[in-house]
Amino acid sequence: MFNRFGRETRTVVHGALEQAAALGSPTIEAEHLLLALAADPRSAGGRLLRAEGLDEQRVLAALERENELSLAAGGVAIGDFELPPRPPAPRRSPRFATSAKRVLERAVKAATARGDRRITSVHVLIGLLRAEVGTVPRALAGVEVDRIALATRAERLLG
Amino acid sequence: MTDTLPEQPAQPADGLAAVVALRRLADRLEDTGVERALADGWTWEQIAEALGVTRQAVHKKHAKRLAESGLTRTRRR
Repeated sequence: MFNRFGRETRTVVHGALEQAAALGSPTIEAEHLLLALAADPRSAGGRLLRAEGLDEQRVLAALERENELSLAAGGVAIGDFELPPRPPAPRRSPRFATSAKRVLERAVKAATARGDRRITSVHVLIGLLRAEVGTVPRALAGVEVDRIALATRAERLLG
Repeated sequence: MTDTLPEQPAQPADGLAAVVALRRLADRLEDTGVERALADGWTWEQIAEALGVTRQAVHKKHAKRLAESGLTRTRRR
């Protein structure tokens, strides 16, 4: 699978690892791929997000909001806990979790269905946008991003 | 007594997202709690017992991270 990844996509995958580590997450999740794309305006997928007003800060804020709302659905307020805002130092190396693997699988599937040999950052974005449930679609819905419309734009960009 | 139970979220999606968010919160609380306990002089054995897991499990999960943070030395006894 990874041998079909272009350099741009490898950068995004590595960026997801760095995002997860910076946030102190023991795992690389789908949302870390979204953050990595949003943080990389040199990638075509990142530019599509920017056009939607989604830069790294906005995605982070959307994820924090999703987290708060989901905790509230479980009857918990994040403010009830005394937590350090960010890890004080480098964390353990995060491993790929199922949610991120599924995004990459969907990216590959989208490319294969279109007959694209290379998996680009746009395919990764499509992989993210095709998830119907979970943290990423909830965070996007929270900032009123129409993920279906955005996925259609991404596909159009691929030609 | 049922009126003291928290209300179930209306949508299954909200209930399942709550589970994910609570797991994330539990992980963060565990990291912070282990750091504080070690700073207070607890042994890995005591921390493990408090968490209801084996010493090996808690050491494997936290020792490397904490050593990298400079909070502990990786010392196995």
